[in-house]
Amino acid sequence: MSLDPASLPRRAFLYRELQALGATFAPVNGMAAAISLRDGAEAEQAQARSMAIADLTPLRRGGYKGWTALDWLRGQGVAIGENNTTVDQPDGSRVARLADSEALILGDLEGGSALLDRVEGTWSLESAEGAYPVPRPETNAWCAITGQHAATMLAKMCGVDLRPKAFANGAVAQTSVARMSAIVIRRDLGRTLAYDMIADSAAAAYLWRCLIDAMGEFDGAPVGLAAVRALAAEAA
Amino acid sequence: MTMSRLPAPAGTLLDRAKPITFRFDGQAYTGYEGDTIASALAANGVTMLSRSFKYHRPRGLLSAAGHDANSLVQIGAEPSVQADRRRVVAGLDVQPQNVFGSLTRDYARAIDGLGRFLPVGFYYKTFFRPKGTWKHWEKLIRALAGLGKVDLEAHHGYYDKQYLFADVAVVGGGAAGLSAALEAADAGAEVVLIEENPTLGGALGYARFDAAGQEAARVREGLVGRVTGHANITVLTDATCNGWFADHYLPVIRGNRLYKLRARSVVVATGSYEQPMVFRNNDLPGVMYASAAQRLMRHYAVRPGNRAVVATANGDGYGAALDLIEAGVEVACVADLRPERSDGALADAVADHGVPIVRGAAVTEAIAAKGHVGVEAARVARITGQGQTAAVDDRFACDLIVTAVGYNPTANLIHHAGGRLAYNDEASMFEVVWLPETIHAAGSVTGTFALEAVLGEGRRAGWSAARDAGRTVGAAPAVPNDRGMRGINHPWPIFPHPKGRDFIDFDEDLQVHDILDAIQEGYDDVELMKRFSTCGMGPSQGRHSSLNSVRLTARANGRTVNETGTTTSRPPYTQETFGVLAGRSFEPDRLTPMHHHHVAAGAKMMVAGQWYRPQYYGSESSRDDNVRREVMAVRERVGLIDVSTLGGLEVCGPDAAELLNRIYTFTYTKQPVGRARYVLMTDQNGVIVDDGVACRFHDHHFYVTATTSGAAAVYQHMLFWNAQWRLKVNITNVTASWAAVNLAGPKARDVLARVCKDVDLSTEAFPYMEVRQGTIAGVPARIIRIGFVGELGYEIHVPASQGEALWDALMDAGKADGIVPFGIEAQRLLRLEKGHVIIGQDTDGVTNVFEADMAWAIARKKPYFVGKRTLDIHERNGLTRKLVGFSLKNPADPAPEESHLVIHDGAIVGRTTSVGRSHVLGKVIGLAYVAPDQATPGTAFHIRIGGGRMIEAVVEKPPFYDAGNKRQEL
Repeated sequence: MSLDPASLPRRAFLYRELQALGATFAPVNGMAAAISLRDGAEAEQAQARSMAIADLTPLRRGGYKGWTALDWLRGQGVAIGENNTTVDQPDGSRVARLADSEALILGDLEGGSALLDRVEGTWSLESAEGAYPVPRPETNAWCAITGQHAATMLAKMCGVDLRPKAFANGAVAQTSVARMSAIVIRRDLGRTLAYDMIADSAAAAYLWRCLIDAMGEFDGAPVGLAAVRALAAEAA
Repeated sequence: MTMSRLPAPAGTLLDRAKPITFRFDGQAYTGYEGDTIASALAANGVTMLSRSFKYHRPRGLLSAAGHDANSLVQIGAEPSVQADRRRVVAGLDVQPQNVFGSLTRDYARAIDGLGRFLPVGFYYKTFFRPKGTWKHWEKLIRALAGLGKVDLEAHHGYYDKQYLFADVAVVGGGAAGLSAALEAADAGAEVVLIEENPTLGGALGYARFDAAGQEAARVREGLVGRVTGHANITVLTDATCNGWFADHYLPVIRGNRLYKLRARSVVVATGSYEQPMVFRNNDLPGVMYASAAQRLMRHYAVRPGNRAVVATANGDGYGAALDLIEAGVEVACVADLRPERSDGALADAVADHGVPIVRGAAVTEAIAAKGHVGVEAARVARITGQGQTAAVDDRFACDLIVTAVGYNPTANLIHHAGGRLAYNDEASMFEVVWLPETIHAAGSVTGTFALEAVLGEGRRAGWSAARDAGRTVGAAPAVPNDRGMRGINHPWPIFPHPKGRDFIDFDEDLQVHDILDAIQEGYDDVELMKRFSTCGMGPSQGRHSSLNSVRLTARANGRTVNETGTTTSRPPYTQETFGVLAGRSFEPDRLTPMHHHHVAAGAKMMVAGQWYRPQYYGSESSRDDNVRREVMAVRERVGLIDVSTLGGLEVCGPDAAELLNRIYTFTYTKQPVGRARYVLMTDQNGVIVDDGVACRFHDHHFYVTATTSGAAAVYQHMLFWNAQWRLKVNITNVTASWAAVNLAGPKARDVLARVCKDVDLSTEAFPYMEVRQGTIAGVPARIIRIGFVGELGYEIHVPASQGEALWDALMDAGKADGIVPFGIEAQRLLRLEKGHVIIGQDTDGVTNVFEADMAWAIARKKPYFVGKRTLDIHERNGLTRKLVGFSLKNPADPAPEESHLVIHDGAIVGRTTSVGRSHVLGKVIGLAYVAPDQATPGTAFHIRIGGGRMIEAVVEKPPFYDAGNKRQEL
């Protein structure tokens, strides 16, 4: 039996849209995550390989900003790359460097992040002067845009060249999508082209509408978290 | 009507297995899939497509390529559709434009007989005298002007946009463009090839390059086969590149989509426009370019006539004559404008068919068939001088006159990019003489017509473009020396007729004498001539008129064409719809976490910036009652309002207080942790730009709120200044992170106490203007005791994801006390009763602190804050207006509206900014700017309300309600 998202105090910004699609929910980080939609697992994975969107909002994420933020994170054992690139961490988290003074941390697809557990447990105003947390779980909604048509679909909404040949796996674009600020990160799921989109939580419903509309010509559709996990588990 | 088609291989664009029925001017016709409207009509024997703009003369196919306005038709709500480009689809209902009645029975055709009373520029000189007459003429002119009809009720269709990226953009898919694309792609460049027609090949697809008629097909097949199979080439057919913009930003329209293509280099291979020959009645249906006749035959299997006269000055005319002969058209005569024998093989092949070739001769007149709906015969006479012919002529019966007298480069994109063209007097043709870096051109757009040279030039352009895009290239491809430029354009294919109707510009019905008259009137510069005569200003934008009109202007002025110059071509290249430009029109909206609760509760939502906010709850018809109910609930019990849209900024670091001290007018360095303090922001001019509250949670941490509409600007303002100050402070915009509510009313503490157990809410422990962190129904919360509405109140901020849960918990907890949700309208009235200003409503773009009577918010001992210096000057200079509270002297007077004017001694001295009828106070209250000498409480002033009536108001010192502020500090 599916969890009622409204039974939990933390509610994902798109839970009503996913409810309307008949999503099956399960708790992730105290929030109802849409694990699957009406289609069967195989069909959802096929959908995700072609053109799909999945809400990842319940997954762990965080960030630090400030003039010592990167050094402080490095001091916590976090590997950080060049600006606008991501580095995979041993625990399955990924760290995207957004600027010389800011990093974004994305947890794994199961909803965990040992790295975030560690740095959030360590951080305090007194001990980390110049490195301040950014409330990414609340500021931003997070979705995955997957499938062979993903780059072409995104070209209808975003002016950055996100095609695989121009935008490497792990590359970060801080850009405008459908006139809203967004962070777009290429994160292929196994063999499937995929992007993370992290954008204003208050505009989540708007962007959802825009994305669903834009992917219509590719027969795109929403899928659940399970399909994303399954693609990620495939060999690259 | 029966369709007549040529057998295959003619009809390369048709699918004859798919007949399509459509309507034109009320009559049903059948065409094939792939037909244009015009080609399908031509196959049905319909050659008349429209009536001309001014004289309502019958018009038919001229270019068959969208280069003229003859083919413009109306389809439903869509005006000015190019019938020679738009393909037929089943059920299409096509209407002719610019007709009164039907196409064949147009009542306005009588205007054609009045032409001599309508000389060029007559409308500039005619309708303004006697005075007052214009308003009568205007109605008639407006009724006659314009082509199609715009449906002002039409809904926006589905359009969208897409970005495209390429190393090399090649515009034009003819021989030059194809070879350029291949060369660039072979060098590893990623190429986007843009072709406005449905298939690649350009002239290779319809023109004849050799007597046997084999060469074009052979070359086309080779090029197209390689291009379509090339992994590095993306082909966009039916796509129009409508302009060139900086950094190779190319708008490409394809159907209802606008592609925004960014390339690293560009090849312009856009070809050239065939040009008309000028003679009497050269606008009749049945007179067309050689390329138009060939397009009809090759692409659409349409025989353009039964008996033709071909007037030519180049080999293409002979090629067309051969095509006509092969299509079963009797060619009555070829009139070659050149006296000497040229184009040997092609001319010989025509002669071999027994066609008489008259050299040094021109068509001087097309004789109209009955009703002027076509051609009955052509008069051909010897050329005796430039534009002159012998009085004796020969009359050839025919229903088709095909002309081939030259071309003009399709250089629009080159013009947009700043390239330059010059007239080559020897070739009588404009040619490209300079191109900006990383733009290349090839083919007939450069004046190159010999096929081998076109292919070589294409390869060279593709090579150059690939190199510019950073690709490694080998040796530059060779280009044959003979570009085939000469022998294409006749220097003077203009043969004025004493009786006129020798059209230079078909769009605007301009004849030779119209151009000469304009020059005679003194408009002798080509730009002036254009604007006075409107030559080139119609839908086809000079495609067929600019070359001949410039030639005429040059000769009339005794100058060369180069001395005369040409007019400027600007984007767009061709017509584009507002729908295409608008696209999907992304209009972002932002929802608070409690949005759906408001909607479910029957809230009337309103837009505030990008946000949706509840205006009030309940039906629109009971608006005032709803607002009154909400206000009274807050004053008497408790209410809850969603204030999640307030801006939120985390300001952290050792210098956080110093930053606020410099940014805001108050002082913050000594603000204790746990306290909240009002913030007022001014710009460098001392103008109020925002306000809010700063909550101090740590020596190094403030949480600062901002107005709904000001949050982004405040954030940028802070970043801008700290980029210069370099304070040790970090600023983060967390507006969307926090859901927020204001729980207000005398019962607010009781309600909150039911769900908040870990904060001592007593007045002593948690007084007014203090902040606490705790949990409410398990939700972590920041609680601020502030009183915007003048009652005991708590502004509660929680993580956005838990906003709904907070709302649910407070509404549940407040049930026993009759809690109601309240909206913006109630809040505005509640705060007005307290005399609180709303930035942006009670202030404007120039309001300084003193004018708003907010000097109390300035920490005068501070050495600096943004705007302080200017405010000091304002204070010394004194006020010109002041914001005051007021009530009406006569309670029976109607309430003024916001922005009604304050009048003093007949002059405007101010305006009302906020007005409301207070149910608690039982009177109308408001805020208004008045003259400084009117600002003393008790002073009467006048407000001019709707209808010009003056009412009297009295200055009253706010707050109007609870003057001692006891209720909010309970």
